[in-house]
Amino acid sequence: MLFNSLTFVVFFAVVVTLYWGTRSWTARKNLLVVASYIFYGAWNPPFAALLFSTTAMDFWLGRQIAKARGAHSRRVWLIASICMNLSMLGFFKYGNFLLENFQWLMAGIGIVYHPPHLDILLPVGISFYTFHSLSYTLDIYRGVLQPTKSLRDFILAVSFFPQLVAGPIVRAGDFLPQLVRPPGLRAGQFLWGLLLMTLGLFEKIVLADTMLSGSADRIFSYAGPLSALDSWLGVMAFAGQIFFDFAGYSICAIGAALCLGFHLKDNFRFPYAAIGFSDFWRRWHISLSTFLRDYLYIPLGGNQVRPLRAATNLVIVMFLGGLWHGAAWTFVVWGLLHGSYLVIERVIRVFFGDAVWANNRLTRLMAGIATYGAVCIAWVFFRASNFSIATRMLRGMFGGHPHGDAILSTREILQIGIVTACMILAHWSLRESNIETAVTRLPRWIVTTAWALMACSIILTQGNSNAFIYFQF
Amino acid sequence: MPSSTSNFKRKLRLPRLFFASPSEIVPRDYERPIPQIPWRGITVVVVLIVIAVAWAWELYCRSIGYAPTLNDNEDLWTMARRNVKPESVVIVGDSRGWYDVDLDELEKGLGKRPVQLSMGGSCAYPVLADLANDKDFHGTIICSVVPRLFLAPPGAPPMDLSEKAVRRYHSQTPAQRVSQYLAMPLEEHVAFLKQEELTLDDLLKRLPIPNRSYAQVPPQLPPYFGTLDRERRARMIEECARPGSELQRRIQQIWLPLFTPPPPPTYIPIEEFIKSMDQAIEQRFHDVATAVQKFRARGGKIVFVRFPVAGELKTLEDRTTPRSQTWDRIMKETNSPGIYYEDFPELSSFNCPEWSHLSAGDSVEFSKRLVPHLRSALEM
Repeated sequence: MLFNSLTFVVFFAVVVTLYWGTRSWTARKNLLVVASYIFYGAWNPPFAALLFSTTAMDFWLGRQIAKARGAHSRRVWLIASICMNLSMLGFFKYGNFLLENFQWLMAGIGIVYHPPHLDILLPVGISFYTFHSLSYTLDIYRGVLQPTKSLRDFILAVSFFPQLVAGPIVRAGDFLPQLVRPPGLRAGQFLWGLLLMTLGLFEKIVLADTMLSGSADRIFSYAGPLSALDSWLGVMAFAGQIFFDFAGYSICAIGAALCLGFHLKDNFRFPYAAIGFSDFWRRWHISLSTFLRDYLYIPLGGNQVRPLRAATNLVIVMFLGGLWHGAAWTFVVWGLLHGSYLVIERVIRVFFGDAVWANNRLTRLMAGIATYGAVCIAWVFFRASNFSIATRMLRGMFGGHPHGDAILSTREILQIGIVTACMILAHWSLRESNIETAVTRLPRWIVTTAWALMACSIILTQGNSNAFIYFQF
Repeated sequence: MPSSTSNFKRKLRLPRLFFASPSEIVPRDYERPIPQIPWRGITVVVVLIVIAVAWAWELYCRSIGYAPTLNDNEDLWTMARRNVKPESVVIVGDSRGWYDVDLDELEKGLGKRPVQLSMGGSCAYPVLADLANDKDFHGTIICSVVPRLFLAPPGAPPMDLSEKAVRRYHSQTPAQRVSQYLAMPLEEHVAFLKQEELTLDDLLKRLPIPNRSYAQVPPQLPPYFGTLDRERRARMIEECARPGSELQRRIQQIWLPLFTPPPPPTYIPIEEFIKSMDQAIEQRFHDVATAVQKFRARGGKIVFVRFPVAGELKTLEDRTTPRSQTWDRIMKETNSPGIYYEDFPELSSFNCPEWSHLSAGDSVEFSKRLVPHLRSALEM
């Protein structure tokens, strides 16, 4: 079920009414479990069974890890959990990708092998709920979480519908404590949740889908050489689209959870005002970057190893982060590019980090612009469906097609320019703050007008039900 | 504590050089801040503004000629597709098979109520192929042919439109199905709910902003000129059918660039491009013939129909897609019966107000006159 659909509007209204109309906390949790499975099953009912089986297995494995006496057996149970989760992910998401690459490898050594194409349907949000579930056994293994006694609570932690299919990746350790006692609603919490949902939908429906996606799609599907202006505008359109699409979903999720009394952490913190790439990853898809940091980067040795090893660790983490996004080498290159950016930044910091000029306003501004530019270049690989498109785009962006075609209308150019400028301006003005502080400080009439304007634009846009980009991951 | 865990914890405690602000591992008491502002008052004002704006917009849209009607989208098409029974009569193709056919008249004449699967601006082939692959279906297909759409190459908008609908039929989720059922009563009562006309995107597209002289911008699509019911029966609105109306004139001027072949791409040599287009057209003839053969092999019947076209659009179509190279080839390759409106005086005496479709009234009369030809072609 999409947040930007009529079905969800009705579904959410019914769930909220029943939820707050029910006194028993147990009954409320049961209601949320049923609602979450209906929400997920509304895409493809059989996949709800897959979700349940993954959850039930991790519940059981979590107990085994906690019960195990020696370090060795704890590790064995953890490996079982990792293997179970990753094999599900591997089969559904990477099955065909692995077979294709195996075929390519065989061909490289002269063996002709034609694997069957597996007709596998990717369960929506499998990458997200696998990580929700995996965080549970990992945290029990690390000794920072006690296993829950209630399977129902764990099912709810993994499948809680606001964050189920496209994040934020909410760790069981963050969510389970909220199920201990019934949440109360603080003053304004419900309405603030509704405002956040309006903001999220506005970002998705109006800014991502209406203002930017059409231009990005046309540019990335154009088969010919493009002018530098059109190429850059296409990439900037996608940079804005993916931010508004994904951040919009996260904000909706946070808002919906708030309406039900739950608190989810921020997943985005004005990333296009980042100064440097480590700063970018502290602001972009925070739940994924912290997941990879805590469960992969640090166990690999983190920064407590020799610099070369630490740099390698960083690249490995970003490589896997790229692969997490999709079963294609273009995503891997996107991840590796970010890994390289992080390593380069680290080297620069070693040499110039303490210099006075490196911390003045102008340098910081230039570094911010350079970060945005480099992030845009990386987005080319994220969006392009193959390397020939990516190469053509990059060539266009760097003047390789002096007589390239112009395919964007003036209206589209204005839309991309205005939305991007406003987005970057908003990110820079809020980079040290947060949306709650901004809303508190703004005059009431501005909050009222902005909320009304967003709601009216959503109605005017009529919420064409484009799926969120991150559903495919 | 196991050594591995303590080692892990020790590592976590060490200062990190790279990640400046590590998040806490077990944030059990996390609560989001809630802005402390007068929420109730603000919400009441917002609700009042939204209701007032929506009401004003609705009144304005009605005042300039819009009326409530269903949106044609993949979900409505899927609803109709689900109504196809093994022996159904099905209409497929483009907007002429959509506007020019009256389901009541065809039901009277053919004995079965047809299922309307035509779509505006679409190519018939993907739907034809889907019906040919549907082993349960062995009824009758009435296929409208506008050569430029029927022979559109893969990847072109007419093909995308049909393929998207067919895909939705095979993969519609329960949520999409429910959304369609919820949307229909709203669309039947609210005039501004027009997904191809009154959305913010469409309103922005209509802004008179000049383009770069060398920019390759896609042509404009026609504005709202018809209504649609739950059976997907399309009817031209009065304003469009009224002789000399502004709307009629506007639509006529939109058809011409829309039906004019676009310039060849700059990045492929022109000979190569023409060759690839010719190959795509030949492939389409072959694919259509294969689909028709497959469908006929299990007892299905098919008839192709060329619906009326008029004015400068007819001149343009005759010039760019001549009958001998398109219609006649389809007839020959598929060895199927066909009804070309110009061959019959009783079918060619109709006027298309905006050059491409019949008015709602004429579509009834046209369908009445079409029935005997259909019966004869289908050997009924």
